[in-house]
Amino acid sequence: MNEILNVRNIGISAHIDSGKTTLTERILYYTKRIFAIHEVKGKDGVGATMDSMELERERGITIASAATHCEWKGHRVNIIDTPGHVDFTIEVERALRVMDGAVLILCSVGGVQSQSITVDRQMNRYEVPRIAFINKCDRSGADPYKVVDQLRQKLNHNAVLMQIPIGLEADFRGVVDLVSMKALYFEGTHGDDVRVGAIPESMKEEATAKREELLDAASMFSDELMEAIFEDSVTEERIHDAVRKGTLSRMLTPVFLGSAYKNIGVQPVLDGVNQYLPSPADVENRALDLDRDEAEVSLETDPALPVVALAFKLEVTPYGQLTYLRIYQGALKKGYDLIITRTGKKIKVGRLVRMHADQMEDLTSAQAGDIIALFGVECYSGDTFTDGGLNYSMSSMFVPAPVISLTISPEDNKSQNNMSKALNRFIREDPTFRSYVDEESGETIISGMGELHLEVYVERMRREFGADVTTGIPQVAYREAITRQAAFDYMHKKQTGGSGQFGRVAGFMEPSEDASYAFVNQIKGGVIPTEYIPAVDKGFQTCLQKGLSLGFPVVGMKITINDGKSHSVDSSEMAFTQAAIGAFKQAYLKAGPVILEPIMKVSVEGPSEFQGNVMGSINQRRGLITSSTEDGSFTAVEAEVPLAEMFGYATVLRSLTQGKAEFTMEFSKYAKLPEALAEELKSKLSQRKKGEKKP
Amino acid sequence: MKDFDSISPLKILEKSSNRALGAGHLGVLVARAGVGKTACLIHIAFDKIFRRERLVHISLEEGPEKVASYYDVIYTDLSKALDLREDDAYRFLMERNRMILAYLNQSFDMTRLETSLTNLRERLDFRPRTLIIDGLDFEHAERQVFEGLREMAEAFEVEIWLSALSHRHITEVNERGIPYPCHRLDDILSIIIQLQPEPSGIYLKLLKDHDRYDIPENRMKLDPHTFLALDVTSQ
Repeated sequence: MNEILNVRNIGISAHIDSGKTTLTERILYYTKRIFAIHEVKGKDGVGATMDSMELERERGITIASAATHCEWKGHRVNIIDTPGHVDFTIEVERALRVMDGAVLILCSVGGVQSQSITVDRQMNRYEVPRIAFINKCDRSGADPYKVVDQLRQKLNHNAVLMQIPIGLEADFRGVVDLVSMKALYFEGTHGDDVRVGAIPESMKEEATAKREELLDAASMFSDELMEAIFEDSVTEERIHDAVRKGTLSRMLTPVFLGSAYKNIGVQPVLDGVNQYLPSPADVENRALDLDRDEAEVSLETDPALPVVALAFKLEVTPYGQLTYLRIYQGALKKGYDLIITRTGKKIKVGRLVRMHADQMEDLTSAQAGDIIALFGVECYSGDTFTDGGLNYSMSSMFVPAPVISLTISPEDNKSQNNMSKALNRFIREDPTFRSYVDEESGETIISGMGELHLEVYVERMRREFGADVTTGIPQVAYREAITRQAAFDYMHKKQTGGSGQFGRVAGFMEPSEDASYAFVNQIKGGVIPTEYIPAVDKGFQTCLQKGLSLGFPVVGMKITINDGKSHSVDSSEMAFTQAAIGAFKQAYLKAGPVILEPIMKVSVEGPSEFQGNVMGSINQRRGLITSSTEDGSFTAVEAEVPLAEMFGYATVLRSLTQGKAEFTMEFSKYAKLPEALAEELKSKLSQRKKGEKKP
Repeated sequence: MKDFDSISPLKILEKSSNRALGAGHLGVLVARAGVGKTACLIHIAFDKIFRRERLVHISLEEGPEKVASYYDVIYTDLSKALDLREDDAYRFLMERNRMILAYLNQSFDMTRLETSLTNLRERLDFRPRTLIIDGLDFEHAERQVFEGLREMAEAFEVEIWLSALSHRHITEVNERGIPYPCHRLDDILSIIIQLQPEPSGIYLKLLKDHDRYDIPENRMKLDPHTFLALDVTSQ
């Protein structure tokens, strides 16, 4: 059990370009996992260790999470480096799902930016305690105090400085540790040697004041510390204990300072990970017991109990599929049998490895709390593994529906095969990426969370799978919904010799309160026999896949059946499914169907002088601006904009703001497409259909 | 739906000669910390929004998410008091009629506000009738700021409601009965309302009504939980 207490599973999340990969690289270096430092966009052309994909190295952004582990002062730290761009949010969500704690990196110049807010919301959803690292204190315009205020104001964190900077911008030399009240300097070629010195005379007063603030904040979580303050007997240990309690309760966020690029302040962050972030035993994890109607059960971080593990990431390597696993309960050994809950399929644990970016270390066993990888296991991302004695499933991850799609076609036969392989792989890896063949046009369609999301997969198809494909224009994922109640009463009857078909279904359809589908059975007296009710439900659900207005999926419908009729010989499941389909067709157009379009929450950040241009550009895109926040010389404009209007916005924004503004967007909701645009869409679709029919 | 007018804190203005603040004027709610200035300002905002009037909420302390969440909390109280059931309609009204401008970390200045209001008008055709300014530091702001706000109220044809923080230990009151920190600004402020916590509840007191001071029967009791008007009590 003691071993588990010394394990830390952490994620590193932040806004793009805040220095996540640079920090991770330093951590691996100081923990002796690597012996040289390569920069993200380094001149040596090697690229940072965590950016294992060729594409990531080229673009200087981290696309897929790469898990790695290291050891620091007797603790085993498993790190998942996560992408910063919102289009890859599922990667962040997955990382948070299996992480016990996180380091939130903020740029000391840019502060809390829109993506940090998104990531923070996600961390709240998964109840992840975090510590913050304000990076880039060496940059011109660095103001860590402002960032701490932003943590409080924008993210509602009870942020407390654990350190204060010695110098800033070009003069940034080290930090004063407010717990030990010592100055820390990072010396040697790569800041390897931490020199502990006295606090510079000129900073003593400030350090004392900031330490008071730290003690005030920390003492809220520890009566012992509060008493010690009154008795003037505060020890470092008491402060650490109190800060740890506050952090674990997510009521306190300790803040560290540094510059990963300049090798300043990284080691104290590692100390902070050990001291303040939870071990797997500190976190309560829950699973669903499928044998007890999905009742929630707690998992114990105990190696002696039956094993429960979650596959949170799949990766293709030249040696086969690699499945990243978080073990929540029990232990795994080479040669063990595991059962995939979803399929009931048995698999044997063959090669068991611990990942270090794209290198690996073979293991013979692993236990609860560990993050490891298996080779050659056929499964999907999100699958639960048990030893077969338990029928548990880890609670499902929140998976947003795709909002954008485009057609792809291979350029030759070889590419056709490779494209299929690639699509098959991507679907298993990423639940937000979907692919299907359109029945009418025969085209292959891929869909996902944004333009960049799909762009990256198309690029990976080319590079990793050798599939040359051409892509169509991105299409928005429209939906249909009804707006009022409409009744149906439909009889399906084919009794013209041989075995007949008979079924009558009556009731009404109406909009449901949320976007989900609901089926209410109010049949009395068995006018539709109970065994045929699921067939009626199935019939309606089949129709939802393609609405009768423009053929888009139907959302937010509640069906109530209250009458019907059956025939003792000619009724069958098929007959009632057909009757439901007929009933749907009978009522749908009477129920006032409308077209819904995806609306994105868009945040544009840039110098304040461009506020007008940004507002104008959003307004032109049917956007609704909800707020504008000025902070320093920057303005962030928040808006809701239809996705259909956001294509190519990056280019427009660049030209409107001299490339100084950036935007992020995430799906917000579906909303009614204005009538005129719905008509336009209708004629566009019918023209396209006509075009397809031409020889 | 019950009538919002009957429970709105702005009902206090029934005691005012104009029964309103009016475009080109500044109104202020003065109270100690934690008494409910922000809640009352948001009720004033709802009063406008329910009349389908556009407004800009300017926050100098909180980010827009927090401001929006205050509105949501107060709307929950209102929906109970007024038996409102149409949440979608509320959201629609908010989306169309409310704009939040936040100025964090001392980034507020008159030029920036004027630029933002001009951008709203010219780029979005968003023409507010009311500005709500929460968190302006009355103690340290220069007199020119308030003069500038009044000029802005005239130029943009808006009424501006502000909140001012008073202190228990500063009891300074000018000869016209206007307390700190509004005592040196009452020539610029058209309406001054004080929020007073008392053992029996919270009271709104109309201290200045355009050119009038010493207004008779100038008090109104608020529900201490919802800040909605309860009854009229004469002083």
